[in-house]
Amino acid sequence: MTIDGQSVTVPPGTLIVEAAKNVGVEIPVFCYHHKLDPVGACRLCLVDIAPGPPRPQTACTTPVAPNMVIKTQSAMAVQARAEILEFELVNHPLDCPVCDKGGECPLQDFTFRHGYPTSRIDGPRLHFKKPIPLSANIALDRERCVLCYRCTRYYDEIAWEQELTTGQRGVQSFITSQFDQPLTSIFSGNIIDLCPVGALTSRVWRFESRPWDMTQTGSVCSKCAVGCSVTLWQRRGQLVRVTSRENDDIDEGWICDRGRFDYTDVNDPKRLRVPVVKGAGSTWNTAIDALAAGIKGKGPKLGISLPQDLTNEEAFLFRRLLDGPLKGAKVKMHGRTALPEPDPNQLLIKEIDDARVIVVVASDTEKDVPVVNLRIKKAVSKRGAQLIVVHPDGVDLDRNPHTVHVRNAAGSAAAEVEKLASHELLKSPGGPVAILFGDGHGSEDAADLAAACAELASKVGGKVMPLYRATNERGALDAGVAGWDKLDGVQALLSWGPPPTAGIPSSVKFLATWDHLQRPDHSRAAVVLPATTFAEQQGSYTNLEGRVQFLRPPIPVAEPLKESWEVLTELAVALGLELGYTGIFAVQRDAAQTLPGLADLAEPPSPTPVPTPVLIGPAHP
Amino acid sequence: MPELRGTVGGPVVTEWFGTQDLYKLDVYKQKGGYAALRKAMVDMKPVDITNEVKTSGLRGRGGAGFATGTKWGFINRDMPGPKYVVVNADESEPGTSKDRYIIENSPHMVLEGIMIAAYAVGANQAWVYIRGEYDEPYRMLTEAIAEARAAGYLGPKPMGIDFPLDIRLYRGHGAYICGEETALLESLEGKRAQPRSRPPFPAVKGAWGRPTLLNNVETLATVPWIVNHGGSEYAKRGTEKSPGTRLMSVSGNVKKPGVYEVELGQTFRHVIMELGGGPPDGRNVKVFWPGGSSAPVLPESMLDTHTDMEALAAARSMGGSGGVIVMDDSHCIIRAAHRLLKFYAHESCGKCTPCRVGGDWAVRTYERILANEGSQVELDILQRVSDALQNGRCLCGLGDSAGWVIDSTIRHFRSEYEDHALRHECNVGAVTALA
Ligand SMILES: Cc1cc2nc3c(=O)[nH]c(=O)nc-3n(C[C@H](O)[C@H](O)[C@H](O)COP(=O)(O)O)c2cc1C
Ligand code: SF4
Ligand code: SF4
Ligand code: FES
Repeated sequence: MTIDGQSVTVPPGTLIVEAAKNVGVEIPVFCYHHKLDPVGACRLCLVDIAPGPPRPQTACTTPVAPNMVIKTQSAMAVQARAEILEFELVNHPLDCPVCDKGGECPLQDFTFRHGYPTSRIDGPRLHFKKPIPLSANIALDRERCVLCYRCTRYYDEIAWEQELTTGQRGVQSFITSQFDQPLTSIFSGNIIDLCPVGALTSRVWRFESRPWDMTQTGSVCSKCAVGCSVTLWQRRGQLVRVTSRENDDIDEGWICDRGRFDYTDVNDPKRLRVPVVKGAGSTWNTAIDALAAGIKGKGPKLGISLPQDLTNEEAFLFRRLLDGPLKGAKVKMHGRTALPEPDPNQLLIKEIDDARVIVVVASDTEKDVPVVNLRIKKAVSKRGAQLIVVHPDGVDLDRNPHTVHVRNAAGSAAAEVEKLASHELLKSPGGPVAILFGDGHGSEDAADLAAACAELASKVGGKVMPLYRATNERGALDAGVAGWDKLDGVQALLSWGPPPTAGIPSSVKFLATWDHLQRPDHSRAAVVLPATTFAEQQGSYTNLEGRVQFLRPPIPVAEPLKESWEVLTELAVALGLELGYTGIFAVQRDAAQTLPGLADLAEPPSPTPVPTPVLIGPAHP
Repeated sequence: MPELRGTVGGPVVTEWFGTQDLYKLDVYKQKGGYAALRKAMVDMKPVDITNEVKTSGLRGRGGAGFATGTKWGFINRDMPGPKYVVVNADESEPGTSKDRYIIENSPHMVLEGIMIAAYAVGANQAWVYIRGEYDEPYRMLTEAIAEARAAGYLGPKPMGIDFPLDIRLYRGHGAYICGEETALLESLEGKRAQPRSRPPFPAVKGAWGRPTLLNNVETLATVPWIVNHGGSEYAKRGTEKSPGTRLMSVSGNVKKPGVYEVELGQTFRHVIMELGGGPPDGRNVKVFWPGGSSAPVLPESMLDTHTDMEALAAARSMGGSGGVIVMDDSHCIIRAAHRLLKFYAHESCGKCTPCRVGGDWAVRTYERILANEGSQVELDILQRVSDALQNGRCLCGLGDSAGWVIDSTIRHFRSEYEDHALRHECNVGAVTALA
């Protein structure tokens, strides 16, 4: 087939909009989105198709056919699109100067490239009350909305939520939350990225900056073990926005609200920046010496609480301390599940797509591994996979009326999994089976459950995926530091990151903390070290499927803050262990050689380049 | 000009209408009712039924006029899993009341047609989506279904054949768009009534994603007669390409408004002046809508246009729903167009951009003209909005209809538009102020 004279070869079933991308022809779209089912609602993608009736047709709903001749620049097609854009502006408030979308707005760009150069719109415009808070995080401006229904379709198709809908009809139609109640889904923020205009904006970021006044850096989310790709937006040394960055191996362009909105602590004016010893600001040397003195030679009387987002590099350095001067210390990692080390041939996130049956055991995936939960939903609703859940309570995946939910007594998941081999759906699944299991937040014997799942997988032809929760639990396991010890009874405690979930044991006589914020639980610390955050730090995480991904800090580490590898190296010296690292690359090379699980650290890939905007010349009618 | 074969005469759908208590099962049976169902299920193969309908040349009476037999043939009878028949009884096209007339006179004829269709396409379940305001027709269909169940026509073994049949009623929610076939299906499924993008067509993916035959009440009510008398007998009426008869609802400025069964190919002069009794004394026909408000208007000078679909297409209009609305010369075309546009803007579902915004923009433009604030700018806006609503710009036919109202009234009454917009005067006289 040809598009504007260029011949294109694409697989059968490809939609014309997608085929056009292959040859750099822009067909503007509002309602079409490559991750949502096409609806043909906005009518912006009209093109001229031969053979066919003498009227424009929607490129977003029409699959290509052999020898089709598509013209996007015929008089008929150009005019049809210009008219749709004019319609979109008839009631638009044109408040672009104060709109957060201004500068990255398809409505502006398409009007520039495909619209009429002059305006005929002189009548009064329709008005709505605005903005409307849809939740604490999201504001809705109904006047700017072009009713593409991306947001409501996403809620329906991807998130399986019923909270967002359309009210009224005709020109009075508006997007609204169900019964005007605040949105509660933890996947709500994706509608901001999806919205092609400034109708849905982040209340966390609203009126912070213009898009062109920020720099963007492709990084990885630090909030859980899924490891979604994100873009971090920086302006004047502050992290001002987090958006999704499509990575089809992991997140397919979705992130959860934790990843999107939970970043303002980075900019907290009360951030710790100077080391403190006994209540007074000090130098790094003094503080590290004081810390070393407090924890040295304590053996099992020393407790160490690790943050969930410890990087692989930190884990490796910490392992060296544990092997040496801190031998015997009790270690407890935040958010650590009871799950054992994974099977090397474990299931990958993208392989969930092809599963015919998905078994989810002892986990409410929405809370434990949010974006994996969306992948399961996709496999079920878009690819027809069957779903079996083993869990004592109701879970998010029960929203699918066909979910087979086996309600086990807490602690008996392994026994239920053993019985599943003869389940109707698993007798002849007709394709691969995906088995995902958590640890029931402590209610299940994780080792038994892992064994039962592995056994089931071998019987029915499938792979397993242990659902780790802590951001870098996999990396910490690989480095051998993912401790699960009780900290009761320790005399000295290094609380790295937030305080231990069980609180600071009363036995602790010497408390040292290493964190980016001052926390009430840490008030009696003798030594306080200021920490960097995911927005400043270099390093890597291993996600729950074993993929090593690198953080790319958008904000430089400003003195007196120090990078964590440096702090750990200096602490080692103070404890009598000479590590001799001069930079993070040296740490990474050494880690890669020493620990097989961290082999991927040997060659960090170059950072993802910032996308350059594709501007296709104006096509005014 | 196609030749009218109207020599056979005699009504088809209304043949038995007027019989006392025809709505009752035993009276309907006495007249010969359910013989067609017996013949279809006992003596014919499903494919023969479909072929008979193809031979008849029957075309859909809901609006689009699609060949009924061909539509039935699209459903793959052998596909495993449920299939449905959905009957469009939403009848909300302005000026149209023939489906109601059929149901109120002979509900069993509708049921019989549905059952034959269901058997032909292999559907065990049928739904009648009936306009919410139709209380009486709803009640009559409910009773008729109960009678048909009691008599075994609906149930596990109708006519002794192992083919379970059931018909259920679903009351609509009072929006015009619910009559559009895919919006109707959405509404039937309990969702917001908004049209779906086609393809896939309902025959492939209809109600609940299953193959679905969707027909209008009148279309199906014609089927028993075709099965009884044969498709070729039906095809002897009407014209070659638009065979048969159709029910025309004549309304507006006529002396005898009502529903008339008309052989296709008759002229509108016959329908309006003879059947409808013509305009009130002292008045002339100014304009008429030949197929419901959605069909482009025709002026008095085109009264001799024939009622078959080809003749109407040649006149740049359409047969639509068969509702003939007559307006006499005491009325202003701009006000009429404005009123209709208000209807279409109000009923726009809002899913697609041109109809959602364009209809409302046109209404506001008409209001400026009627408030004597018009100029050439307003005329240009109307013409361009009208162009931008038609020819595939919208997702469903509602938007096109809104465009046709503007387009056809401008085409036939340009000078009246210019009087209003450019000279700020209404030369119809009777009307001065904006309603
Ligand atoms: C806006 C709109 C409203 C419609 N309303 C009706 C209706 O009320 N009744 C009806 O039978 N068809 C209506 N139709 C036509 C249906 O979409 C469909 O073509 C018809 O029901 C098919 O039946 P048929 O093939 O027997 O004519 C409407 C179409 C549109 C676009
Ligand atoms: S709010 Fe945004 S995404 Fe939702 S319908 Fe409106 S324009 Fe589309
Ligand atoms: S043409 Fe109008 S009624 Fe039809 S889909 Fe579009 S907005 Fe809805
Ligand atoms: S992008 Fe094709 S209709 Fe909206």
